[in-house]
Order: sequence, then structure tokens, then C-alpha cells
Amino acid sequence: MLQTAYGLTIASELPLPELPLATNSNGPADVSIRFGSLPDSDSTDGQRIGPISWVSGDSLTLNVPHIARYCAIGGSTIIIDPVDGIDDDSVRVFLLGSMMGALLLQRGFMLLHGCAVEVDGKALVAVGPSGSGKSTLTEGFRRRGHAILADDLVAINTDGAALPGIPRIKLWHDVTEHLAIDRTALPRIRPNLEKFGLPVAEAMAKGPVPVAYVYALGSHHGDDVVIRPLDGFARFNLLLENSYRLRFVKGLGRRPQHLAQATKLAGQIRARVAERPNLGFTLEPLIDALLADARA
Amino acid sequence: MLVPEAATGGTYWLASYPKSGNTWFRTVLANYQRVEDEPVNINALHTGGIASARAMIDDLLGLETGDLDPDEIDQLRPLAHDWRDKPGEAIYQKTHDTYRINSDGTPLLGSRQTRGALYFIRNPLDVAISYAHHNGTGIDKAIESMGRENHGLNRSKKSIYRQVRQHMGTWSQHVLSWVDAPTLNLLVLRYEDMHADGWHQFGQAITHLGLSLDDERLDRALRFSAFDVLKHQEAEAGFIERPGGMKGFFRNGKAGDWRSQLSDAQIAQIIADHGAVMLRFGYLDMAGNPL
Repeated sequence: MLQTAYGLTIASELPLPELPLATNSNGPADVSIRFGSLPDSDSTDGQRIGPISWVSGDSLTLNVPHIARYCAIGGSTIIIDPVDGIDDDSVRVFLLGSMMGALLLQRGFMLLHGCAVEVDGKALVAVGPSGSGKSTLTEGFRRRGHAILADDLVAINTDGAALPGIPRIKLWHDVTEHLAIDRTALPRIRPNLEKFGLPVAEAMAKGPVPVAYVYALGSHHGDDVVIRPLDGFARFNLLLENSYRLRFVKGLGRRPQHLAQATKLAGQIRARVAERPNLGFTLEPLIDALLADARA
Repeated sequence: MLVPEAATGGTYWLASYPKSGNTWFRTVLANYQRVEDEPVNINALHTGGIASARAMIDDLLGLETGDLDPDEIDQLRPLAHDWRDKPGEAIYQKTHDTYRINSDGTPLLGSRQTRGALYFIRNPLDVAISYAHHNGTGIDKAIESMGRENHGLNRSKKSIYRQVRQHMGTWSQHVLSWVDAPTLNLLVLRYEDMHADGWHQFGQAITHLGLSLDDERLDRALRFSAFDVLKHQEAEAGFIERPGGMKGFFRNGKAGDWRSQLSDAQIAQIIADHGAVMLRFGYLDMAGNPL
């Protein structure tokens, strides 16, 4: 049984209830996810690229203490070595986040830390750090009937198109309150978190969508949503600053390729800063402003 | 121009309860380190950010701390704070966390990089006024917060913030966690002394941070960080560190406001909550009267 995300077919020993079945189940999977024993990272000959991450050739290891050790190899395999007794949800959250990111980097995708939705056949990407409202924005666009590409990790192929990612939106308790979402039917991301996974399989885009707009999410002290243009070098910087796991990009030796991808993408997009009031919940005015700007 | 320093490397913590002179010090430090003809932009201090910045911790760890609970984040923070991308780099990092040791025996802020700390302390009678202003609450609410053992920043588990949870405890617990931390190479600076005797106090602090002391640079840094300059910059271009709902970050920058702004009952409550620490740091006389 093969599943799919980011246009790849995936065979996984760890159940991945978030992912849909692949329509084409013939042939070997693009990606194999399996359990295995991974050595204590400090005892390998790999290069340490961060407090809990190591690289050896084209393999990247992440050791999340008390949860699992993971290794992404050559863009085709992820090995998971979970801590005894840990729940599947906790193991899956870092598998589908950082490790999927590492694997996509190994396969040559450019990754942005952002959400992406479809507007008139083009991808609108909103980038920003955790807590800037990417997931909330994704759900807001979904409610208005827009197809969804990703809520946190946007993978862009060499043609400059964003791929449909994982069909679920991760929402914190307070956002479910604001949006009047019934939490009783929703799974928690992990047992110990007030953060829920909203399944959105039916809303996913069916294939890659060319990236046309990139908005940097920010806030300001004013009362309105303000959209400011970015030109030239600022566009390029925006893409670099909001790249997903730049530490992995550098560690895997993909910095030159990444700079080339960012340069190319900067030439194809319209880039803006979108600032909303730093008080209150201003989802609808933000969507209105983004749509008006994108369609102008 | 950034003046190169003799590299001693490691992290120096700029620690305080909120509203105790930390931002003022960081502004002086930024102006001291960068010798320019005009004051450093308060929106580009670049003094190493705050230790609880989620984006920094996520980048270092290579994962989303939003997928961890606050206790799990506390367990991983020492690993992040102990890491250096550039070996030997000196970092001066602000923190409002208490100085504390995790259950596994590791200091929350790590140990391998820590070279020292400055602790900024301010009369809690004045902190209460400034903290109320900062949070957009009444003074009584600020006094209550300062007396609460589980007080901290970004504590809700139902939401995500740009900074991870910071435990602060009571104002007294916060002070004692730092000033009585064993083996910490610490210098305590009183906000009131920084006002009354800026040259000597800031000079001592610069030296404590392993930087060479240059009179001319310090003189300019102090002039460029004068309260009027900071307030003017905020009026012109805003201040990115100002919380939403707060009118202005730089309020009046004075010591002793409590004499005109606190009621007798409020003064009595703060002394009841924090009298011992106030006495120790010269904010009460031996008879228990506020100074």
C-alpha cells in the first residue's frame, strides 16, 4: 500500500493516517520509511551540524531526545529508531516535519517555511516564523474555497511550482476557538499538546502549482492590514530568510544550489510584506488584502 | 563600523526581571560596540536577541519547538544555548528567565558557553509601575504578578508565541535565582546606580563582559543612549520590541516614580512581598522604610 505527499509515493512501516493513498501504486515507492537501529550519533564519523543533528555524506540524522532518532538517506529512505514506549503521534510529528524537509532537500526541492494556497491557478505563499499565523491563514483560505498546497512546509520544484504537501492543518486550541472548530472530532498532534490536526484531503490541490506571490507575514502597531512591496535584492533576501531549515541546507552541502534556486524564484514572483495589527484576530481582513493585492 | 574585540568567546547573559534597565543597557552596548557618528537604530540593536526567541531555538535544534510542550522545550534549551555555529564567538544575550537547573542537572541556559552574566535590578516599587504600563494593566495586577510563584511569560499551552515559555517566579525569586547562583560569574547593576553614576556603572559592566574599556567610546555610547534619544527614536520610527497594546516602550526612564504614583497600600504590599530582598539591595532602610 503506497501513500503520497509532495508528489512522491511513500511506503511506510509507521502508519501515516494523514496521508492519502497513492493513485499509482505500481512499482517501487519513491520513499521508504522504516524502523531500524541507528547508532548513537556521537559515535559515528558524521559531522555535527547542530546540537542534535549530524550529516554524513548525503545522510542527515536528527536525534530528538526522549522521542526518536531519525536518519534521511539520499532522498529515498528515512530510518526511524524510536525511544522505547514512545507514542506513534510523537514520532510522526518530527518525521513529517523536519525529516520530510531533509528528504525533500536531498531530492533537490527548494523549501520555504510557509503556507501555500491556490489563487486563480497560481500559488500564493505566505512565509513567516512559527506563530506568525500560517496555519490559520491556510484554514481561512480553505474556507473560502481555495485549494491548499501546504500549511508549514512549501516544497518548490525546479520549474518553480509548489507541490501539494500533507493534507492536514495544524491548529492551536486558541485558533480553533476563534474559528469555532469542534475539537472533539480532531486528533491532537501529540497527546501532551493543545494542538490539533484538521484533515483537509478534499481541499488539496491536485498537482504542482506555479508560485507567483510570496508574502512575508508580519505585524505592526497600526489598525489595518498593510501591504508593502519588496524589490530586487529584498525579494531574494526574503526567500533566504524564510527558507526551511537552512541548517540542513548548509549541512547537506546544498547551499550553492539553494542560492541558485532562490535567485531564479526571486525573478518569477511578486514579493510583498503583509503586516496586520498586532492585537486582535484579523484573519478575514488579511485574506481580503492578500487577494486584492494578488489580483491587482 | 564594528570595533573588533579581543575574542574571549562564549555567552554573557544580560539578565533581569522585565522593566529593569535591560534594553537601556543593550542600547549602550550596541553603541559602544559600533562606533558611528550617530546613535544606533533601536530597531537594529543586534546584541544577540533574547534567549527565549523561538525562531532561534528552532533553527539551532532543527525542529519545530511548537511540536514540543514547554517542559520538553526547557529540557532541550541547554543544548541550543551550548551550541556555536562560529566557535569562539562572544554573544551578549538578554534573558528574563530565572536562573535555574533542569531536572537532569543541566542549567536551562546551558553551561559550556556561559562566561558570565550581568543582572539588572530595579526597585520593585518602580518596577510595578513600569510593568503595569508594559502589560497594559493596572498597578495592582502588576503587584499581584510580581508576587506570584508561578508567574512567567507566554505560559498558555493553548497558543503559540514568538518566544517560548519563560518562568520568572516572584520578583524576589527572580533576583535570588541569579544573584545567589553558585559558580556564576555575575555582576549586579542597580538601575538607580546606572542613572546616578552611569559612567562608573556602565564602565564596570563593559569590563565584566570581557570588553576593553575606552573612555571616549563609553562617553559617546552613553550620550547616544540617553533617554531622550531613545524616546525620540521611538516617536519617529516605533520600536519593534514594544508589545501590542502598550503606548510607548520608553516611558520616562526615571527612578523614584513610586513616591508620587503608588498608594500606601500598594507600597505596603510590595514591601510585604519583597521586603527581605529590598533590604538586601538597599531599597529599604533597617527600619523597613522604603528608600
